[in-house]
Amino acid sequence: MTRRALVVYCHPSPTSFAAAARDRVVAGLEASDTEVRLTDLYGEGFTPELSADEHAKHLDAGVHPSIASHAEDLVWCDTLVLVYPTWWAGQPAMLKGWFDRVWASGVAWELPDGANRLAPRLRNIRRVIAVTTHGSTKHINVLEGEGGKRTMTRSLRAMCHPLCRTSWLALYNIDRCSESERLMFLDRVEQRLGR
Amino acid sequence: MHATVVLAHPRANSYAHALAQRAAIGLQIAGHRVDVVDLYAEGFRAAMNKAEQEAYHGDEPILDPLVQASADLIGTSDVLIFVYPTWWSGLPAILKGWIERVLVPGVGFTFDKQTGKVRPGLTNVRHLIGISTYGSPRSAVRVINDNGRRTIMRALRLNCRPSVHTHWHGFYAIDTSTVEQRAEFAAQVERSMTELR
Repeated sequence: MTRRALVVYCHPSPTSFAAAARDRVVAGLEASDTEVRLTDLYGEGFTPELSADEHAKHLDAGVHPSIASHAEDLVWCDTLVLVYPTWWAGQPAMLKGWFDRVWASGVAWELPDGANRLAPRLRNIRRVIAVTTHGSTKHINVLEGEGGKRTMTRSLRAMCHPLCRTSWLALYNIDRCSESERLMFLDRVEQRLGR
Repeated sequence: MHATVVLAHPRANSYAHALAQRAAIGLQIAGHRVDVVDLYAEGFRAAMNKAEQEAYHGDEPILDPLVQASADLIGTSDVLIFVYPTWWSGLPAILKGWIERVLVPGVGFTFDKQTGKVRPGLTNVRHLIGISTYGSPRSAVRVINDNGRRTIMRALRLNCRPSVHTHWHGFYAIDTSTVEQRAEFAAQVERSMTELR
């Protein structure tokens, strides 16, 4: 069966290293008989701020009509790939806003009457992969708590299939990496996504 | 002391707004000067744009007057307080974006030109405080993830002076809470602000 991958890419600059990583992600997926849908949050001018109206209706099922296609992609895929730079130990605000607005009631979760724990709905997602870069070293990121990694491997994963696997492909200390280290990372990304 | 309260909730009648107000009242009772930055009310843009990303490592990384206004407040704040609802274990996008866009090189930290190392920029902050509401009960928050708290209490803290005091006020399981519990927590927040030294 052909796999279905949703790639969510988040970086303001089309010439960034993240953009190069995105291209290798897509190449790796397509080489392994995977149908790919690509979301470019900055490219489409996604609005990351959850509105007052959305908050007032946040227990009602569904998303704002203007982002309905994002919700459709999320329930369509079996593999979710997030490609972004780590800023302040986590996902950029633009990508955090995609979680805040698209991972909504009736899409990613439901809240049964009287409960205070969300019940997951994204049983279609069996694999979540993060491809990210860090300006600082692994050591500093451990001190900072690796919050972005935990958001992916714990909070988001909890809404997916119970056997969902997560992969963390990270390049640390990118500002001081050599050209060959960066190229090796891109090769590794393509190879891993092709599996 | 000078205190800045950064508030991130889209609805003006929210409990988060009430908590920010009570925190401000507590600070004023104790004789401190308070500024409240209501991110949604001022129309703060969450996402760092391409021009800002390109200017980030330059001499003038701030391009937006709203960002500059926040940076000016932070430069004189002894007390820095964040009030927000925890969404997806983290900060609302608008608050994450405030950190990314305001705490740029020269404000949140500096790059040491000789060693290339990062030096703290929030050296005037004596108290770093988070006040957050959670949908999940405390036990679940602890087991799963509290990225928002980690971002403030660890990542931001690394950019303050080593002697900075940190305080966390979490209100858990808000959807099943009672009016009395919310009133008591708000009173507790106000009281703790009057006790800052």
